[in-house]
Amino acid sequence: MNELEIVGLDKSYRTQGVLHDLDLNVAAGTFVSVLGPSGSGKTTLLRVIAGFERADRGSVRLGSEIVDDETHFVEADRRRIGYVPQDGSLFPHLSVERNVGFGLARRDRRGKRVAELLEMVGLGGMAERFPHQLSGGQQQRVALARGLAIDPALVLLDEPFSSLDASLRAAVRNDVREVLRNAGTTAILVTHDQDEALSLADHVAIIREGRISQFDTPARIYAQPSSPALAREFGEVNFLKGVAKGGAIETPLGLLELQNAGSVEGGVRDGTKLLVLVRPEQIVVRSEGTDTSTAARVLNTEFYGHDAVLTLVANYDGVTTLTARTSNATGLPLRDTQVFLDVRGGVVAWPESDVTAAGNR
Amino acid sequence: MTLAPLDHRGELTTADGRTSVAPRRRPRPKTLLVLSVVVVAALALPLAFLLTEATNAGASNIWHLIWRTLSATLLWNTVRLTVVVTALCAVIGTLTAYCVERTDLPFRHVWAVLVVIPFAIPDFVVSFGWSSLSTWVSGYRGAVLVMTLAVYPLVYLPVAASLRGADPGQEEIARSLGASRLSTFVRVTLAQARRAILGGCLLVALVILAEYGAFEILGYPTFTTVIFSEFSVGFDTASACALSLVLVLLSLVVMVGESSVRGAGHVTRGGPGVQRVMTRRLLGRMKWPVVLGFTVLVAGALGVPVGSSIYWMFQGGAHALGGVSLVSASLYTAGYSAAAAFVATLMALPVALLVVRRPTRVHRLLTRTTFLVLAMPGLVVALALSYFSEHYLNGFAYQSAPMLVFAYALMFFPLALVGVRASVAQAPVALEEVAGSLGVKRRHVLLRVTLPLVAPGLGAAFCLVFLSAVTELTATLILIPTNVQTLATQFWSYQQNLSYGQAAPFALLIIAVAALPAYLLGRFFDRLPVRQGPSPARKALT
Amino acid sequence: MLAACGASSNHGNGVTLTLYSGQHVQTTDALVASFEKSNPTISVAVRSNDEATFDAQIVAEGSRSPADVFFSENSPALEYLQQKGLLAKVNAGTLAKTTSKYNSPSGDWVGVSARVSVLIYNPRLIKKSALPTSVLQLASPRYKDKLAFAPGETDFQPIVTSVINTYGTTATKKWLNGMKANATSHLYPNNETVTNDVNRGLVAFGVIDQYYWYRLRAQLGRSNTHSKIAFFSPHDPGYVIDVSGAAVLKSSTHQAAAQKFLAFLVSAKGQEIIAHSISFEYPIASSVSTAQPETPFRDLQPSPIDVAQLGTGQRAVALLREVQLL
Repeated sequence: MNELEIVGLDKSYRTQGVLHDLDLNVAAGTFVSVLGPSGSGKTTLLRVIAGFERADRGSVRLGSEIVDDETHFVEADRRRIGYVPQDGSLFPHLSVERNVGFGLARRDRRGKRVAELLEMVGLGGMAERFPHQLSGGQQQRVALARGLAIDPALVLLDEPFSSLDASLRAAVRNDVREVLRNAGTTAILVTHDQDEALSLADHVAIIREGRISQFDTPARIYAQPSSPALAREFGEVNFLKGVAKGGAIETPLGLLELQNAGSVEGGVRDGTKLLVLVRPEQIVVRSEGTDTSTAARVLNTEFYGHDAVLTLVANYDGVTTLTARTSNATGLPLRDTQVFLDVRGGVVAWPESDVTAAGNR
Repeated sequence: MTLAPLDHRGELTTADGRTSVAPRRRPRPKTLLVLSVVVVAALALPLAFLLTEATNAGASNIWHLIWRTLSATLLWNTVRLTVVVTALCAVIGTLTAYCVERTDLPFRHVWAVLVVIPFAIPDFVVSFGWSSLSTWVSGYRGAVLVMTLAVYPLVYLPVAASLRGADPGQEEIARSLGASRLSTFVRVTLAQARRAILGGCLLVALVILAEYGAFEILGYPTFTTVIFSEFSVGFDTASACALSLVLVLLSLVVMVGESSVRGAGHVTRGGPGVQRVMTRRLLGRMKWPVVLGFTVLVAGALGVPVGSSIYWMFQGGAHALGGVSLVSASLYTAGYSAAAAFVATLMALPVALLVVRRPTRVHRLLTRTTFLVLAMPGLVVALALSYFSEHYLNGFAYQSAPMLVFAYALMFFPLALVGVRASVAQAPVALEEVAGSLGVKRRHVLLRVTLPLVAPGLGAAFCLVFLSAVTELTATLILIPTNVQTLATQFWSYQQNLSYGQAAPFALLIIAVAALPAYLLGRFFDRLPVRQGPSPARKALT
Repeated sequence: MLAACGASSNHGNGVTLTLYSGQHVQTTDALVASFEKSNPTISVAVRSNDEATFDAQIVAEGSRSPADVFFSENSPALEYLQQKGLLAKVNAGTLAKTTSKYNSPSGDWVGVSARVSVLIYNPRLIKKSALPTSVLQLASPRYKDKLAFAPGETDFQPIVTSVINTYGTTATKKWLNGMKANATSHLYPNNETVTNDVNRGLVAFGVIDQYYWYRLRAQLGRSNTHSKIAFFSPHDPGYVIDVSGAAVLKSSTHQAAAQKFLAFLVSAKGQEIIAHSISFEYPIASSVSTAQPETPFRDLQPSPIDVAQLGTGQRAVALLREVQLL
């Protein structure tokens, strides 16, 4: 069952629209990242879910209860949503213990529950401290414990790691995910950090200009992005021109399997010109070719230890440059030598006409 | 789990605990301390005078004066007035600040200015306006009404500033944690503004303890009015000073009380300096009742004194204005007040830097003693300066503009300190350290880094002192250069003679002269960024 | 502008006198203007303030006081400085202009004008015939809640001194307690309030000096003046003359010019200005008479007490403190 169901959500400030006809479903117990650049509306989305703002149109359902639609509005204090803001926003006048216990009934505020939560976030001995005596990472953990204290059905994390040092970030991030996983809580993380979104979440919702442009597992987001622009954002790309032919694509690198045929609008007919995405690690580089291989010349090699990146120019036209990533560091070909290329696995492609029409979306 | 090391620099810790620049612990020059001690010593002059004079009165005489039932009555009058007015100011100041800063109050920019201006109206003009309006306004209730309307901005201003500086997101978080609106207001909003409220209340209480003019007009005897009558019928400076010491004791009690409930400071500075989206609380059905409340407040605090002044002006009188023109009185008033505001702000700077950067117990005590001067009647401060100038400085600068300016600066120093301290506390020390590490001389660091950062607070301090000095009377009469008149002295001359028609234009001019700084002050607090985080520091550091 | 220093307006080789004046501003200004006109080499710089504040200030300033002349509204303020030995002797010719009982007995200050204590009453609240005729009746229980007075006013303690002189301390104390009981809710800090409140009908009658009522009438106009004044019966101890006087400070470095100013105050010219001023006081020198108040000074029938007996009023102050009116 879905813990959260958002349908047709519109929200605008004054004249400027922020969210447009947005849909999002989050399954119970999962961890979802909402990924988007600043201004894409991701924080607004979170605020609507939390009940700090009311939607202009559409509905928000939490569990079995409609919390926001034309006729209903449940105030933030009745939603049982744990909210962990960007900078922790701890109450500066309260001790760590009091912060965590803030949402509890008076008698529970100093009880076992608070101690357990602090233990869980690894701040067992710090109950009496005040926020200003904590580091940023510790403050975030207190904020998380505070959000979890009310035993929330859903936890919202609003860029909680962005204010942390890079070195600290990874550790706090993993701790937080661990805590949430152990608690079995549904969580939504809003972030503009790709690595964060992809590495933490079960599902990633890509938000662009107030709309969810893709909602998928991190792996599929990488492998099967919904647009060339997204493809470019989530890693290095090779774009090839191809023509559809019997459910596959004819490309300079041979006949490749089309994986997203169903999601291409209007279907793919034979002869349709397509833009094909080939990730660098899909390109297999060998010194000896087979009959399906394509010959190419090595322009440059960059060695990174765990892998290496080759820049190649295809022999068929002598112009098209390709990037290949290989983990076979020992057998790295030399510059200006000839190699043979094959493509591993299926690819995604978009009709060329759509891509040019939509610009770089 | 790795824990970031704790930062022990107290309230100057950035939220993420980073100390990206290894602080260069260079020994602070003693200059700051020396300057502060000089300032505090200057502020101690009136107290020294009080003590010297009071010892002349003789112990038994003082004993008799103090241990009599009238003293008890006066003490009771003073205490109950102070308590009630302070409480009312706390409520009115806090609620107005909340409505202006955190709700969708209509015309809030207009209100933000209008609610500050009453501070610029002399208490004697307010009392005069009210008492000429209705006979109901006299005695205790008159004093409560008039003083509340005259001084609540002392609570409004710091609370508005602190609500601006505080994180509105905390209210939302409280709501998400299940706290109701009311509970959120009490547990979060009030807690955020607590120190500001208490600080404002302290100022209100001290000002009321020393107030004289309004109570004289309203016919409400307090400890201060009896001190004045010791002067006027007893010709007994010694006894008057002895009684003033009681006032000093009372203010000590107030200050100790304030600091004990104030508690240790837990000022968490803003996090990553990201401006949070602030949603103003919708007043809904309460909107027009709240607007009505504001209207009543402004009508009472601003409308009545202005209206009655205008009324009296058109009533006219048989006697033409004296030789002193309105223009020259206005210019002198503005000039003296501006100079005093400048000097007081300058004096407050080293003291504020010392106590914020080096908050030791001694430094804090040093700072707090300066608040005592606020509870001393202007008459005492002026007589102290007369005495020291004539007896020890050969009459140097006596009854000259610098002396008057100095007297104002002493009297209103605490107001300047409040403003300067707040902004110094907000200026990140790390910036100075960076500047220092770049090889900039300390003197230049102050000029090029610290000053620009604290400039808005200095502006606020300047305005507060200016507004108070514009309305000052008792010290002015003693120390003003001969043949010069300020608006307040002219108002007094005519009001003394019941020439209300002639007094009225001066009252209106006082309000006019004070309106601009009051407007600026209101705008200043209104324009403070919603959230003041150490973002410039962060940029500089990364 | 801030550098402007008031007291530096010397005319050629003339002198500038500094006058500390507790007297009414307009009257003082008129006197000074006229004096400067007839004495072009002397200019007078006026400081106005409460006379008692001036006393405290002059004492604080000590031997370096900038003041040359002190012009006070009431004799006790002068007597106080005289006691402190801060006043110079006034020229005999000047003293002779004023009846001697209104001058300092030791010749340290000269009487310039006078005021008389009266009752102000609101005819709507009390009939003239019901008013007390003797000061002692102010303590009578039948005036409970009808009486207003300002115990801290400089005009009130001369009455107390006068009552002490006539009836002794014990009787005076009892009398004060009676007055206090009658005026419980109408004990005001100053005579302006007494005058205003009687006129507005807040209280039936009060004790003031006559000029407060005349100033009120001048300000409000006759139609808005709802109160009247009445005298005590002739020679009653409450029927007291308060003298306003002037003195030269011993520390003055312009003794001759200062004496000239004093002489001017009691000259016919000076007295005429006072007679037509809005102070509504009685000129008491050079046989000048006044337009307002209507009752001429010579027709007044005050208590015989003189300024020497009034002194600084410290016996009165002590008693007022004892009964907790101060």
